[in-house]
Amino acid sequence: MNKKWKRDDLIVRSLADSYLPIALVLGFYVILHGNISPGGGFQGGVLAASGVLLLYLGYGFKGVATAVNMERMHKLEAVGAIAYVLFAMLGIFCGYNFCRNVLWDSGEIGDVWSSGTIALMNYSVGFKVLTGVGFLLLLVIALLATGEDEEHSGTITTTEHEELERGKGK
Amino acid sequence: MTYDVYMHFPVIAIMTLFVGAFLVTLVGKRQAARNAIAGAAVLVSLTLLALLIKPVMVDGEIIMYWMGNWEPVEGYAIGIAIEVDALSLFFGLLITIAVACSAFYSFQYIKQDDARGSFFTLYLMLSGGVLGIVLSGDLFNIYVMLEVMTFAAVGLTAFRTWNPNAREAAFKYLVVGSIGSTCALLGTALVYAQCHTLNLAQISAILPGELNPTTVLAFALLFTGFGCKSFMFPFHPIAADAHGAAPSSVSVLISGVFTKTGVYGIIRVCYFLFRSMGLSSVQIMLVVIGCISMFVCVTMALNQHDFKRLLAFHSISQIGYILTSLGLCTGLGIAGGLYHAINHTLFKGLLFLTAGSVLYATGTTYLENLGGLAKKMPKTTALFLIGAFSISGIPPFNGFYSKWIIYQATFEKAAETGSIGYALVTVVCVVTSVLTLASFIKVGHSVFFGQLRPELAEAKDPPLGMRIPMWILGGLCVFTGLFPNVMLDYIIIPATGAVFNAVPYIDTAMGEGYAAAHLASTSPFVTPNYTLLGGWDPLAWLVLFVVVLAAVFLCSLAGRSNRDVNCAPDSKHAVFFGGEEAQYSHISGGDLFWGFKHTMRRYLGFVSGAHTGVTNDYVLWGVTATAVIIAYCFAFML
Repeated sequence: MNKKWKRDDLIVRSLADSYLPIALVLGFYVILHGNISPGGGFQGGVLAASGVLLLYLGYGFKGVATAVNMERMHKLEAVGAIAYVLFAMLGIFCGYNFCRNVLWDSGEIGDVWSSGTIALMNYSVGFKVLTGVGFLLLLVIALLATGEDEEHSGTITTTEHEELERGKGK
Repeated sequence: MTYDVYMHFPVIAIMTLFVGAFLVTLVGKRQAARNAIAGAAVLVSLTLLALLIKPVMVDGEIIMYWMGNWEPVEGYAIGIAIEVDALSLFFGLLITIAVACSAFYSFQYIKQDDARGSFFTLYLMLSGGVLGIVLSGDLFNIYVMLEVMTFAAVGLTAFRTWNPNAREAAFKYLVVGSIGSTCALLGTALVYAQCHTLNLAQISAILPGELNPTTVLAFALLFTGFGCKSFMFPFHPIAADAHGAAPSSVSVLISGVFTKTGVYGIIRVCYFLFRSMGLSSVQIMLVVIGCISMFVCVTMALNQHDFKRLLAFHSISQIGYILTSLGLCTGLGIAGGLYHAINHTLFKGLLFLTAGSVLYATGTTYLENLGGLAKKMPKTTALFLIGAFSISGIPPFNGFYSKWIIYQATFEKAAETGSIGYALVTVVCVVTSVLTLASFIKVGHSVFFGQLRPELAEAKDPPLGMRIPMWILGGLCVFTGLFPNVMLDYIIIPATGAVFNAVPYIDTAMGEGYAAAHLASTSPFVTPNYTLLGGWDPLAWLVLFVVVLAAVFLCSLAGRSNRDVNCAPDSKHAVFFGGEEAQYSHISGGDLFWGFKHTMRRYLGFVSGAHTGVTNDYVLWGVTATAVIIAYCFAFML
């Protein structure tokens, strides 16, 4: 990559500014309507996670690092997965099988809230993919950023080992 | 549908492992919490599966569990199923035992490593994926779990990222492993196109007897896919690299557990989905692949200079035994193969953990740098001897009994078919066993016996937390060897019966009479016969063993006064060492069996040279193997 290339290009930044809300809204729309329209948690999650990329294009690594907490994102991914299993477990708690839809008679057909547990599980998948793909993108971006001295300060530790080394350095 | 609490056990056993994996991520850097979660997850899943022994193994029940209560409609199983018969439970049990022992060993073992946080996430993902494969009743779910398992294993192989070998091994594993995954996916897609269902039970009812080019291709691809996961012959070099580089507790999983899913997949594909084991061509294919695997890998093992690489090659060699035995398609053969599968998990797990302890204590597994550790690590040495005797098939340890069944099964098959080929298989099995013993003499000599290396004077036995899991595995090795009848009656025979009789498996899923309506055209397998030619009484052999041991001990005591006990270097010997004082003259493991190695140098050189260590070569082997298997299936199965 050409190191002289400036990230804070006005055009790129203003486009990122205007596309970021669209990406997020579209992503959350697809997640929310996953049970009644094409798409679903996975697709919506990936769309929303592209917001991370837009942030990077507009504001560089520093901008992403200040806007998003990578460690917390990593943990939230686990929360999404656990939420999925818990919603699936509702079936067992209510006396049916695993993954059974226990709130199936909720709402009118065609409403957003009409599919009971399915919608909840879909939202957890969306949350998990949003955070998971976002974390992956951040990881890739962090690897790209390590080459540049100016932005190196924002590197996020990926292993305890690195953290220890840094602690020693300080 | 009758409702019982234990119907939920299989799915909870799988989900506990996955939830444990995510919880470990959540607690982050708190080590005690991490260990508590991982330990609880593996113990819960072990307990849940152990509770299923009574209904499934003893009462012969089959647990059918439709996710979300999506039961079959109008004869089509659309929902995702978990179906646990005796065969699934057999593999589930051996998996959870190995996973639990290895997890408890890891608590102490990985303390020296960095990035400990992600270890148990990947570890529990791998365990959950493996358990998901053997308990699932859905072909596509098996593929998904196969991928979960493979990627977790690749991540764990590269766990020690500071080690360039680990990164290289993980890359090879990723590339060659994806050949297997691709084949399995393609095979699954073809089966789905043919049967319009992914439920294992329904496919087992519809598919057999319809061997057209598509199904033959699907069979070949599924066989190669699962064969790749079991590291059978042309796929074996990646296993050796991965084992050498991965942490020892992960090697236990890759060797004892990961490969078993491949074996399980091959059983399901050959005996259930396609019911093609009746064809002699399929039997010959399995037996030949098994024999090549066991012989090539044991000769490769003789040449190794690294403890864990040597164990890795032995691991594939033992998988060769299992495949050979399963390929015989007789009651005795399958019983022997399954028995050897559980024994292999136990003794290979034990051996990898001892190798890990040696690494933990000395920092190396290179055979030429080790020696005389028996004086410093007596407890580890005792455990190593149990493992080495078991794998070499020395009575009264477990390896003997399963190998004994395999010899007899191959011999009976030879008598039954009247072909000299199966008699040769017996010979290959025995020769492989002898070579196994030889290479373990080499390991034992160069690691634990002989003179102590001066630089190893600081070595000591691993802490108690690491020894207890090893003792559990060692104790199980002795138990399964001493009480084979208990094992046979409660575990092996029910599992073998499940392999032979797919009708209950199909009927439980699809309703009474479904199998009879669809399977009528295909002939069922012959009723299994478990009688052995000769008797094996472990206690008699144990008495003989003790008597011989006592005799050796007495002789050595009697000669004690004549012997220079200290073995200190004496200047009077200097003349034999070129006039210089011999400070240290350890006979290294590489020096043993030099006559044999010299005689076989052409073959051994060729085999060693063929394992170039280049990813491209191994991919070429894998692709060639896939092509050969597809061509063979088209030539002889249609």
